[in-house]
Amino acid sequence: MSNRILQVPYGTADILPGEAAARRKMEDSIAATFAAWGFEEVATPTFEYLATFGGGGRVSDSNFKFFDRQNNTLMLRTDMTAPIARLVATRLQGEPGVKRLSYRAQLFRYEEAQSGRQCEFTQAGIEMMGEAGPAADAEVIALAVTALQEAGLTHFTLSVGQVAFIDGLAKAAAFNTEQLQKFKHCLITHNAVGLKNLVRQQHLTGPLAQVMEELLFLQGDAKLLADLAEKLTEPQCLQALASLQEMYKLTEAYGVAAYVTFDLGLLRDFDYYTGMIFEGYTPELGYPIIGGGRYDKMMAAFGSPCPAIGFALGVDRVALALARAGKLEINRLTDLLVAYKPGALPEAIKACMDLRAQGQSVKLAPRPCSKDETPEAQMKVARCCAYTLIGKAE
Amino acid sequence: MEDYITIALPKGKLFQRSVDLLAKVGYSADNVTESSRKLVITNEAKKLRFIITKTVDLPTYVEYGAADIGIIGKDVLLEARKDVYELLDLGFGKCRLMLAVPENARRPQLEDYAHLRVATKYPHCAKAYFDKLGIQTEIIKLNGSIELGPLIGLSELIVDIVETGRTLKENKLVEVDSVFTATARLIANRVSFKLKYDRLHKLVTDLERVLKEEEEK
Repeated sequence: MSNRILQVPYGTADILPGEAAARRKMEDSIAATFAAWGFEEVATPTFEYLATFGGGGRVSDSNFKFFDRQNNTLMLRTDMTAPIARLVATRLQGEPGVKRLSYRAQLFRYEEAQSGRQCEFTQAGIEMMGEAGPAADAEVIALAVTALQEAGLTHFTLSVGQVAFIDGLAKAAAFNTEQLQKFKHCLITHNAVGLKNLVRQQHLTGPLAQVMEELLFLQGDAKLLADLAEKLTEPQCLQALASLQEMYKLTEAYGVAAYVTFDLGLLRDFDYYTGMIFEGYTPELGYPIIGGGRYDKMMAAFGSPCPAIGFALGVDRVALALARAGKLEINRLTDLLVAYKPGALPEAIKACMDLRAQGQSVKLAPRPCSKDETPEAQMKVARCCAYTLIGKAE
Repeated sequence: MEDYITIALPKGKLFQRSVDLLAKVGYSADNVTESSRKLVITNEAKKLRFIITKTVDLPTYVEYGAADIGIIGKDVLLEARKDVYELLDLGFGKCRLMLAVPENARRPQLEDYAHLRVATKYPHCAKAYFDKLGIQTEIIKLNGSIELGPLIGLSELIVDIVETGRTLKENKLVEVDSVFTATARLIANRVSFKLKYDRLHKLVTDLERVLKEEEEK
C-alpha cells in the first residue's frame, strides 16, 4: 500500500487562501444576479437515489455510486436538473405560477481530470419551470450573459441551437433507430466526416441533403436563420427557426444580442433537451463554461408535466478563465492588525471587537509587541495593511 | 494568440502530404520541414503558427487547445479517444487496421480465436473490435514491431496497421479480418472552431475544393 495520508483522491483539488475568497466573491456576484432576476435559491441533498437521476433519461456511467443499509443504490449528484425537477414535482407542486429557482452546488462525475475539469466541481445555475416559448428562452439567455458578465468575464460567446430543428431534419431523413443514434453521436462528437457519410446513405436530394451534410458548419448570426428558413420546407424545422428568430429579437431588447451566435448543429450530451439549447465559450478555455436549454418532457417523468428550461455555469471553469485572463483578483490582506503593549491584552481584544463591528477585517497580534518585535514587523507577518497600537506609554 | 491559427502537423508518413496540401490553400510558412529544429514555426504575415508533434500526441495538443487544428490519421484518432472535432476526410494516408495470425495457426472461424493473446499498438480499438464480436482476448500493448509477437511466442494474434501487406508476408502472417480503414482527417479544437469559425470554415471549404480538383485530374 502506498501512503495516502498526504494525497487527495483523483480528480479532486484544494482551493487555497486568497483563491477561495476570490472564487466566493465571484460566486456571490453570480448568486446576486440570479436573485435580482427573481430566481430563489434552493439546496438539495448531495446524494440521492439513482432512480431520481434516471428520471431525466439514461444515467451516465461516469458517476460515483454506493449503497445504503437497505441495499438501495445511491449516487453522488452529477447535475442539479434532476434533483430540482424532483423537488418541484413534490415539495413545490402546490405553488401556483412559474417556478424560478437557482442553486450553487458541488457535483461529482467520474471524468478524465484536467485543469478546469475535475471529478468534483461546482456549478451555479437556474431552472425555470412552467413557462414555454421564445420569451422565456430569451430571458434565460439574457440571464446567462448577465451572470457571466457579473462574474467578471468580458470575452465570451453563447452558441445557440435548437433540438427541434435537428429532430425535424432527422424525421425528414427517415433514419432508422440505429442511424438516428449514429446521427446524434456524430453531432455530439462533432464528427463532420461521419455525418456526411451517414447522410449520403439516405440518398436525400435538394436543400435538405445540402443542409444535413453541412449541419455541423451551420454557424453564424441571425441571417443564417433567415437563409435556412428560405431553403427548407419541413414544418418542424421552420417552426424551430421561427422560434429562434423571435427569441433573438428579444435578446436585442435585453441588450445581449451581441453575445449570441447560432449553431444549428449543436447538440449536448444530455438527451433530455427538447428545444433551444446553448453553450458558452471563452478564448481562455478549450471547453464550454456554461450550458443549458429547454427540456419540456422531463417533468412528465416526475409525474408533473410542465415546460422547463435552465442552465448551469461551471464555476471552476469561469474562475480558471478569469485567472488565465489575469482577472481573478487574489487578495490575502487583512485591513488592520491590533498590536498591544504588555498588559494591554483585554483592551486590545475590546478594540478588535469594536473595529470588527464597524466592518473592518481585524487580526489580533499573537503576543505583546516588544523592542525585538515591533508592531510594524507583526503587521507584515500577519499580512495586514495597517496596525493600531493599544496600551499606555511606559 | 487569439488572432493566430495554430496548426499541429504529425511527424511521419502523413507529414509531407499535409504540408503540401495546406500550402495549396495558403497555409504555409518558411521551413516547415520534419527536420526543423524550431519547435514553433510562425508566419507573421498570415497569422499562422505550425507545430510538429509526434503522431500519438497530436490529438492531445488539439484537445487542450494548444493547437487550433491538426491533421491526423483516423486510426490514431480512434485510439486516442480525445474530445476533438473531426472536420474533413482528406483522403490520403489510406491504411487498414487488421487482425492477423501466423499462416500455420489459421482457424476456421473468428470465434475460434477467443481467449488468445493479441499484441497491438491499438489496445482500445482492438478491445472495441473484440467486444463487438463478443470474443474475450488478452490484449498486450506494444509500441512497435508488433509482428514480432507471434514469432517469439508473446502472442497468438496481432492487430496492426497494414498499408501494402509486405511486412505481413515477410513474417509469414495472414490477415483474417479487417477492423477498419483509415485516412487522414482534419481535426479542430471545439472552442477554436467556435471562436475562429470564419477562418476555419473557409479553410475547410478551400481544402474540399482542392481535394475535388485533384480527384478530377
